Amino acid sequence: MTQSEPIFRLEGVTHKYGDLTALDGIDFVAEDNSYIALLGPSGSGKTCLLRVIAGFEKPDTGRIWFQGRDITDLPAHERGIGFVFQNFALFPHLTIFENVAFGLRNGALKISAAEITDRVSSAIEMVGLSGMEDRSPDQISGGQKQRVALARSLVLQPKLVLLDEPLGALDANLRERMQTELRAIRERLDVTFLHVTGSETEALAMGDQVAVLDKGQIVQYGTPEAIYDSPALSDVALFLNRFNLFDGRLDGAIFEGPFGATPVSSVRANTSDVYAIRYDRTRIFDADVVDLPGPALPVRYLASEYLGSSIVFLFETEDRKTVEVDHHLSLGEPRDLTVGEKYTLSWDPAQAIVFGKETAR
Amino acid sequence: MESKVLKPILAVYVGLFILFLYGPFIVLGILSFQQGPEGGPQFPILSWSTYWYQHLFGLTPPSRIAPLPVGEALIRSLVLAFMTMVTSTVLGVMAAQAFRKRFRGSGIVFYLIVLGMMVPGVLTGLGTSLLANNVLGIDRHWWSTAFLAHVVYTFPFAFLVMLAILNRFDGSVEEASWSLGVSPIRTFRKVTFPLIFPGVLSAMLFAFTLSFDEFPRTLFASGRDQTLPLAIYGTFSVEIHPNIFAFGVMTTLFSFALLSVYGILMALSVRRAKKMAMQEDIA
Amino acid sequence: MSAATPSRETSNTVRLLAPGVVWMILFLVAPIMMILYVSFWTQTTFAINSTLTLDSWKNFFGSEAYVGALWTTIRLWLIVLSLTILIGYPAALYVGLLVKSKTVSTILLVLCVIPFWTSFLIRVLAWRPMLGKEGAINIILQKLGLIDSPIEVLLFSELSVIIGMTQIYVVFMVGPIAFMLGRIDRNIIEAARDLGAGFGRIFWKIVLPLSLPGVVVGSIFVSVMVLGEFATSGALSGRKVNLLGNIIVTQVGSLKWAMASVVGVILTILLGIVVAGFLRIVDLKREI
Repeated sequence: MTQSEPIFRLEGVTHKYGDLTALDGIDFVAEDNSYIALLGPSGSGKTCLLRVIAGFEKPDTGRIWFQGRDITDLPAHERGIGFVFQNFALFPHLTIFENVAFGLRNGALKISAAEITDRVSSAIEMVGLSGMEDRSPDQISGGQKQRVALARSLVLQPKLVLLDEPLGALDANLRERMQTELRAIRERLDVTFLHVTGSETEALAMGDQVAVLDKGQIVQYGTPEAIYDSPALSDVALFLNRFNLFDGRLDGAIFEGPFGATPVSSVRANTSDVYAIRYDRTRIFDADVVDLPGPALPVRYLASEYLGSSIVFLFETEDRKTVEVDHHLSLGEPRDLTVGEKYTLSWDPAQAIVFGKETAR
Repeated sequence: MESKVLKPILAVYVGLFILFLYGPFIVLGILSFQQGPEGGPQFPILSWSTYWYQHLFGLTPPSRIAPLPVGEALIRSLVLAFMTMVTSTVLGVMAAQAFRKRFRGSGIVFYLIVLGMMVPGVLTGLGTSLLANNVLGIDRHWWSTAFLAHVVYTFPFAFLVMLAILNRFDGSVEEASWSLGVSPIRTFRKVTFPLIFPGVLSAMLFAFTLSFDEFPRTLFASGRDQTLPLAIYGTFSVEIHPNIFAFGVMTTLFSFALLSVYGILMALSVRRAKKMAMQEDIA
Repeated sequence: MSAATPSRETSNTVRLLAPGVVWMILFLVAPIMMILYVSFWTQTTFAINSTLTLDSWKNFFGSEAYVGALWTTIRLWLIVLSLTILIGYPAALYVGLLVKSKTVSTILLVLCVIPFWTSFLIRVLAWRPMLGKEGAINIILQKLGLIDSPIEVLLFSELSVIIGMTQIYVVFMVGPIAFMLGRIDRNIIEAARDLGAGFGRIFWKIVLPLSLPGVVVGSIFVSVMVLGEFATSGALSGRKVNLLGNIIVTQVGSLKWAMASVVGVILTILLGIVVAGFLRIVDLKREI
């Protein structure tokens, strides 16, 4: 298989639960040997998509291709696709060793006992759990369970592993460490990870590619940078949690928002007129400054939050909408602000992203 | 305030209630140690003895009181209870497994199964014997017609026990097994079954005890060869001797022995269940 | 089980259900249909043939003994049902709600359930040395000087049947009620108490309504078992109390299949009305 050939492909996959459409005609092509993050808010259908690919559920329409083969009608156990559950789903009645050996022992292929021992030991070593082989799943921590679940899948050398919010059950510290580890483990093996998550930071930090799922459709697919820099829809921008979004009215090349009317250069198709400017590109000025780089948004200062490498300032507009400004500390000391005082926010209009119902050009 | 008065009153009441439940047993137990063979099935105790227990096992010299015909009846009852237990547990596990998925007509099927425990034995027994006797024209035996009627009665219990167990069962371990390339049948054997085993054990206990003690259905649906309950029922119409009390004590002890075996097996698998519960807690 | 094609899923469900469903249709539904059918057959002295007739039905309603058995069954059922509720509810209240410790509650519940695992007939029989003329109760009452001569009505009467049935079946009332009471959120009761509600008020407004499904489920259990009874009445009444079940047994004993079937149909209808009535109050499937 060459690098360019996709590991799996979805063609118009639709899945309904009664009247609820979980997946709405999804087309998707995934590159081989990559880390793909599937980002979506709860209820976007992301877990459903994963279950359809794994074969736990059958799509109502559409085809699924895996390694050049149509697997739509193949039952889960004949697909050779790994799955890591959010709750780990370890076998509580088996030891760590037997958990990892389970697929080798009970699969369709007969594998010699010696080879099983070898492969299981090296898989357990890979996830750093050597010496814990004889413990049972209730004697290890959440992070260790996660590793067992991973080793259990990887020992079968699958080409694709689906991870359903694998870090959701872990605490914050552990989550960050597992992020690095998951990436490192994947890079060592020739395998594609499809990692479902509801956390935009996780998706952007981990994926080589990020697919954004909303209301059963993939609304954007690209590198984390591309998605971060230019969200395709206002909903994506909202979900990324990096943009101040303003409702308003787009009239030709003029956007009318709470900051007055401002000219726009390009517009993206969207279901409503929305003006977006990234937190870290919004700048703070005193209320009486007139020499602004762009539109003037009058605000009242609320509070600030120190995040280590940056400070987040929270403001409130006249119509009581909260606006965030991200100040990275490498750009210099932040300014002193007085709570309750009025300020003006502004930005370079060229850095704004405008979504419009009528795509002007 | 009132509950402070009410609670001790009710505590005393529950004590009396339990005495009400056990009183007849205690009296029966005491009278089983009546002197024999002259002593009758009532107070006063002439003198304490284990005569009636020896009488039960045929260890006493022959007297005017015939020994209870329990030997063969006991074997029959055990075999019948075992057959019923295996059949109804298998049927119960299968049906409950099917109920994990939604399907059309599940309500009707549910009530059809539960009907088996709701319909009084006298009706099932009558119907079964009518069918065998007047339509099919076949002989009734404890191992044929009575067995069929017993399963009709115990299968719903096994089904309900398994339904309750499987309702709480987290299916993701099965999906995990499939995703590891293990077929559904092998997954059931290697994952599902070990994890639902405590439930299976309860279902078996229910089925065995209910069948072993079953009386109205057997009365109609079995032929000449008596099971244990039929043998006991036969003594009702004749004069009663304390040997039947001794027998009652023995069957009660047998029931307790059965319960203990169940308790031990349950304790062995409870560790496993605990593990499962802990894993669910994290999820 | 594996999510294959929908038709494969369906066929899997069918495979799993078929044995049980077929068993129930052949050996439960068919026999009950048989009872209805045979009730219209023609009965001769020792044989029966399938010429349809209403004779057996006319005989039933023409005989005071048979119709009397119907009324006795209904009367005894109502008495025993009321007694099991009256005696069982306070016990369930204590076991399911008032006992704070989970362990004590479980032990008490197990104590109540243990007799269920012992032989039904022995339980019936155990009442004889209790209630007899020289039975335990009479002896105790005489020793206490409460009575001069033994009460004879205790055994071989309707009273002894009622006492026996109540003791045997009250467990089936206590269990469901205690179960429902155990599910009541204690915080609701605490909150009501904080608002100044007395125990009586809490009982009528919270505890009783929430435990009602348990009472109904228990009532279904007790009703079904009491209505189909014949062994307890046979053993403890000395043939003085004849229930519909007793009639069926004696009729089958003398090979009067058609009359036994008529009584069977009447018993089925009676049961159907009673159970359907209770099920209107509570959905059994949801409670389990």
